[in-house]
Amino acid sequence: MSISAEEAQKMKNEVAVGCCRTEAGTVISAKNLEDPAIIPDLVDSNLLEIPDNCLKIGEVIGAKLKETVDSLTPFTPEMFEDIKKMEEDEDIKLSNEDQAAVLKINKKAGEKITIDDLEDPMHFDKLEDSLLIDLNDSDNVLSRREAVGKTLSQDLPALTPIKKAVIKEYPDSTTEEGGKSNQNNVQRGGVLKIKIDEGKGIDIELPLNTTVQGGAQTIAESNQSKSLKIKDTADKEKKAEEEIIVRKLKRKYFEINEVKFARESKIEDKTLYIRKDICQDAVDSEDLVVDLKIDIITPDDYDKFSNTIMDVQPIAVKEEGELGEGITRVIDGVIVMVTGTDEEGVQIGEFGSSEGILERNIMWGRPGAPEKGEIFIKTDVKVKAGTGMERPGPMAAHKATDFITQEIREVLKELDESLKVREEEFVQKRRPGKKKVAIIKEIMGQGAMHDNYLLPVEPVGTLGAKANVDLGNVPIVVSPLQVIDGCIHALTCIGPASKETSRHYWREPLVMEAMNDDEIDLTTVILIGSPQVNSEKFYVSKLLGMAVESMDLDGAIVTTEGFGNNHVDFASNIEQVGKRGVPVVGVTYAAVQGQLVVGNEYMDAMVDLNKSRQGIENEILENNCLTKEDAIRAIAMLKSKVAGEEIKAPERSWNPNVKLNNIEVIEDTLGEKIELAPNETSLKMSKKRKEIYEKDEKDN
Amino acid sequence: MDFKIPLKQHIGSLSKVIVNENFAVKRGQLIAEADGLGANIHASVSGKVKKITETEVIIESSQEVEKDDFLKLNKSDDYLEMIKEAGIVGAGGAGFPTHVKLNCELNNGFVIANCVECEPILNHNISLIEKDPTSIIRGIKYVMEITGAEEAYIAIKAKNKKAVKALEEKTSSENNIKVKKLRDIYPMGEERAIIKEIFGKWLEPDQLPLEVNSVVLNAETIFNISEAVEKRKPVIDKDITIAGKLNGEKTRVVKLRVPIGTPIKLLIEKAGGIKGDYGELIIGGPYTGKAVSLEEAVLTKVDGGALITLPFPEYTGPLGLLVCACGADEARLRDIAEKMGAEVVGVEQCKNVVENNGSLKCKTPGECPGQVEKIMKLKKAGAERVLIANCSDCSNTVMCCAPKLGIPVYHHTDHVFRTLNYPLTRRLKLDA
Repeated sequence: MSISAEEAQKMKNEVAVGCCRTEAGTVISAKNLEDPAIIPDLVDSNLLEIPDNCLKIGEVIGAKLKETVDSLTPFTPEMFEDIKKMEEDEDIKLSNEDQAAVLKINKKAGEKITIDDLEDPMHFDKLEDSLLIDLNDSDNVLSRREAVGKTLSQDLPALTPIKKAVIKEYPDSTTEEGGKSNQNNVQRGGVLKIKIDEGKGIDIELPLNTTVQGGAQTIAESNQSKSLKIKDTADKEKKAEEEIIVRKLKRKYFEINEVKFARESKIEDKTLYIRKDICQDAVDSEDLVVDLKIDIITPDDYDKFSNTIMDVQPIAVKEEGELGEGITRVIDGVIVMVTGTDEEGVQIGEFGSSEGILERNIMWGRPGAPEKGEIFIKTDVKVKAGTGMERPGPMAAHKATDFITQEIREVLKELDESLKVREEEFVQKRRPGKKKVAIIKEIMGQGAMHDNYLLPVEPVGTLGAKANVDLGNVPIVVSPLQVIDGCIHALTCIGPASKETSRHYWREPLVMEAMNDDEIDLTTVILIGSPQVNSEKFYVSKLLGMAVESMDLDGAIVTTEGFGNNHVDFASNIEQVGKRGVPVVGVTYAAVQGQLVVGNEYMDAMVDLNKSRQGIENEILENNCLTKEDAIRAIAMLKSKVAGEEIKAPERSWNPNVKLNNIEVIEDTLGEKIELAPNETSLKMSKKRKEIYEKDEKDN
Repeated sequence: MDFKIPLKQHIGSLSKVIVNENFAVKRGQLIAEADGLGANIHASVSGKVKKITETEVIIESSQEVEKDDFLKLNKSDDYLEMIKEAGIVGAGGAGFPTHVKLNCELNNGFVIANCVECEPILNHNISLIEKDPTSIIRGIKYVMEITGAEEAYIAIKAKNKKAVKALEEKTSSENNIKVKKLRDIYPMGEERAIIKEIFGKWLEPDQLPLEVNSVVLNAETIFNISEAVEKRKPVIDKDITIAGKLNGEKTRVVKLRVPIGTPIKLLIEKAGGIKGDYGELIIGGPYTGKAVSLEEAVLTKVDGGALITLPFPEYTGPLGLLVCACGADEARLRDIAEKMGAEVVGVEQCKNVVENNGSLKCKTPGECPGQVEKIMKLKKAGAERVLIANCSDCSNTVMCCAPKLGIPVYHHTDHVFRTLNYPLTRRLKLDA
C-alpha cells in the first residue's frame, strides 16, 4: 500500500521502504513508499529487516533511484544518485529548556515529542490562571529538554503537561496500554497485579463470580484503580455546603482492673464488686434458666476451658440522653461474656460452637472480641434441657446475664465522675453535596439463637428492646451513633468466626470509617433481619428496596454476617438496591467455605471478610468478621463504583493474594500503612483446629 | 490560473454583471455594477471571463500581473463620483460602500482615519502607513473636501511607534489633522470605541458617527480614495496579513496590493506553505475572523488576514459559550466547540450585546458590564469549562470569576495566539 503526498510530508521522519518494484531512474514520490504504520508489523513477521542506514521518507522524496529494487526494499543511500540531507530536529535550538513541557497539540500514543509539539512557556501563566493547565506537580512534569525525543505511551490532548507516567522511556511509570488513566493492571501467574503510579482517590474492588455454575463459585478480590472521577467530583464539591452536625455521642471510660464478689455491688478504687448472691436472683428472673455461675476470668485464666461463647458485651450505661446521643459511661478493662449449655451439657448452638480453651478460640482484638488483658465477667448459664436450640433458651440465657449487667450498670451510673480515665466523642455529620451513602447491615433473624434485641434502653441491654424476629426482620433505620451506642444486643452464636457480637456493633468499623470519611455523606444505617424462610427473605428485601428508593442514595454497602443460607437474602438485598440504580458493594465472609450460593448482576463489587489462612470457618470467635481493613476496602470500592469505574472479574478460585495486592495498592495511594488484623495463626491451636480443620498442621 | 471575483464584497446587494462569458477583460475593467446599495466591481487581472455564476465572475488569466498596468477610471473632478466609480468599500472588514458613507455634510465636523488595526496579528495597515503615510494624509484631505469637515483625527495605537512617528512628521504642518494615540487594547478600533476615546462619549449601538458630526474610515479605505482620485485606480488590489503555521522562518507575512480574487491557498503557499497539521484557516483577524475552507477562499475587498492555526486542543466535556459582540458570534463559537470535540451545554450573551440590523453590537466596546452572572448561568447549565469570545476588558472580568468557580476558561482566540506566540487574552495587568 502506498501513501499519499500529505502523509509523506507528515511522516518524513519515518523509514523509507519501497512498497512495490521500483525501476532504476524513478524519482521517488509518496506513491512509491510503504505506509510506515505497518512497517513494525512487517518487521515482527520477518518480512522485513530495517538496516541501520535506512533512509527517511523526507530524504528519499524527490531522489532518483540508481538501481531497480523489488517490493518491500528498505531504501539505503547507495541506491540513489542524490540524497538530500534532512535537517535534524536536534539542530533546531530548544529554548527555555528547563521550563515545563506542555503539549501544544493533541498527540497519539507512540508518537515522538518534537520541539514543535511543545507549548511556548510564555502562555503558562495565563493557561494556569485559566485552569487549563496545572504545573503545580512540578516534580512529575518533564522539562522541555527531557521531553523532546521521547515517545508517548498514551494519547494526550493539547495543553497537557507531560509527565513521566505518559512516556515510554520511563518504564517504571509507564502504563502498559494506552488509555487516559494512570493505572496498570497486569495479570501474571494467576495473580492480578495492579500498579498505581500516582493518584488521590482509590478504589478497591473485589469481584465475585455471580453465575451459578456447578457450585464452583468462588469469591476473590481484584482491581485497584485510581478514580480520576472521584477527584473531579471532589473538586466540584469543594464549594459544597458545609457539614451539618446531626448529633454527638460522648463515651466516658471508667477503668476497672479487678473484679471481686462482695456483699453488695459497687465500684471502689478501680475494683468492681459484684453482689455475692446475684446469681440466684438472675436464675430466678428467667423460668428457663436452671443455673447460672459467674466466672471472673483474668488474663491468668485465659487458658481455661469455656462453654460456647454466645456474646461479648461492653458494660455501659446512659448518663445523659437517649441511646445514640448524649453521654454514655462504659467500663474500661472488663467485658461481659455470655456462655452456656443446657441441663444435659449440650452447647447452646447446634454446630459451630466455640467451646474450648478461651485463648485458643478467641481472635483477640477483633471489634467483636475481647482485648488481651481484659477481665471477663463470664456467665455460664444452664438452660432447661432441649431449649438450647429453640428461641426461648438462648434468650433466657442472655436476659439472665443482663440481669447481672444491669446491676453493674446502675453502680456505674452513680460512680463519681472523677474516676473517669478518658473520653471519646463520636459526631454524626451530614455532608451535603457529597455522595449519599447508606450502610445496610444484615443481621441474623432466623430465630433460636439467630436473633438480635434492638434498641434497648441501656447500651447493649435487653430491657425495652424488641427482638428483630418479633419485628418481622423488616428493615429498620437507625443512626450510626445508635449502632455505636449499643442499639443491637446480639444473640448469635453459631459459626462464631463470622457472626457479629454485641461488642462488634459497639465498635463497628465500617460505620466508624464511613462516619469519618469526609468524601461521603453517610445518611443512615439500615438494619435488616435475615429470616429463616426464603419467601420471608424476599419479603424483607422488597421492603428494603422501597426504603432505599425513597432515600435518593448515591451508593450503599450491604454487609452480612455468617454465610450460607443468609447469602440468599444478601443477594436479594443487593439486587433490590442495585436495580434502583444505586451502586452497591457487598461485604461478606466467603472465601472457600462461604462461597456464594446465589448471585445476580448487581453483585459485581464484593469485599471478602475472610482472614483465616485456609479461607474457612474455623470457629475462632470473630476471626472472619468485618475489621477496619475491610471497612477501608469496602468504602474505597464503593467510591470506585460510584465513579463508574469498571470492576474486574475475579479469578475462578479464591486467592488471598488478591486482597493483599489490593491493600498494597491502597497503601501506596494513601501513603499510609493499613494494619492487617492477625488471624488464627497467631493463636495456639485449638482442639478443633487440630482435629478437624488443620489436621495437617502441627500444634504451634 | 483562475481568479474568482465575488459579486458581493460589500454591504448591499449583489453587483450586476456587465460582461459575458469568454469576454476578454483587462485589469481594472468594470465587470459588475452596483445595483442599488452596493459597489462596482472590476477585473483585477487581465484575461478571459471563463465563467459567470450567480455569485462570482471567474477570470482565467495566464499573464503575470503588472501592478501599475490597469484600465484607468474615467476622469472626473467629482471626488465622490471617483470613489463610487472605483467601487471603494470599507476595507477594514465591514464593506460599507464608501460613496454612500461620504455623501454627507459635516460642517464643523470631523474625519477620523481609523489606523488602529486593533485585531492582533494583523499588520498590513501599519505596514502601509509606514511605507506611504502621505497617501493616507492626502486621502484624509480629499474626504475633508468631500464632506466639508473642518478637522481630522488619525487614530492609531501608540505602540506602533514607527507609524506614529511617520504620521506625526507628515502632519506637523497641518493644523487641522491630529494624531490621536490610543492604548493597545481590543477592540480599540471599533468605530464607537474610537469616538469614545476622541470625544469622551459613547454612541448608542444603533447610532452612526454622524451623531457626533463625524465619519470614520479605515486607513486602507482612505488609501484607496487617494488612488482613485490621483491614479484613477479602481479597487482591484487588497493588502493582507498572512500568518500562522507557515514553513520557513517567518510566521507572519504582509502582502500589499494583491489582486482581488487571488486564491488564499496560493497566497499561503507563497508565504511558505502550511507547516504540518493545521486546525483551521481564518479569514480576518483572530477576534472577528471566520473559519473558511482553504480550497475555496479567495481574497476580497474586505479581507485583511489569512491565519493558519494550530489544531484545536481536545476537550470532550461539557462546555459553556459566552458570546460577545466584539468577538465571535454563537455560530463561530459552536464551530470552535465542535472542532475541540466539546459538548455545548449552554450559551450566554454578554449583557452588553444588542442586536442591530441583524448583527450584534456591543453597548460599550472595551468597557465590561460584568460577567459573573453569565458564568454562573453557564455553570448551572452544566458547563465544566467555558469558551469565551470577549474583548480584553470583559475577558479580564471572566478571569476574575470563572477560575474561582473552578471553571477553566478558553478564549476563542487561543488557538491563533498560541500558534503565533502572541499573548493570550486573559487578565489585564493592573497598571495597563
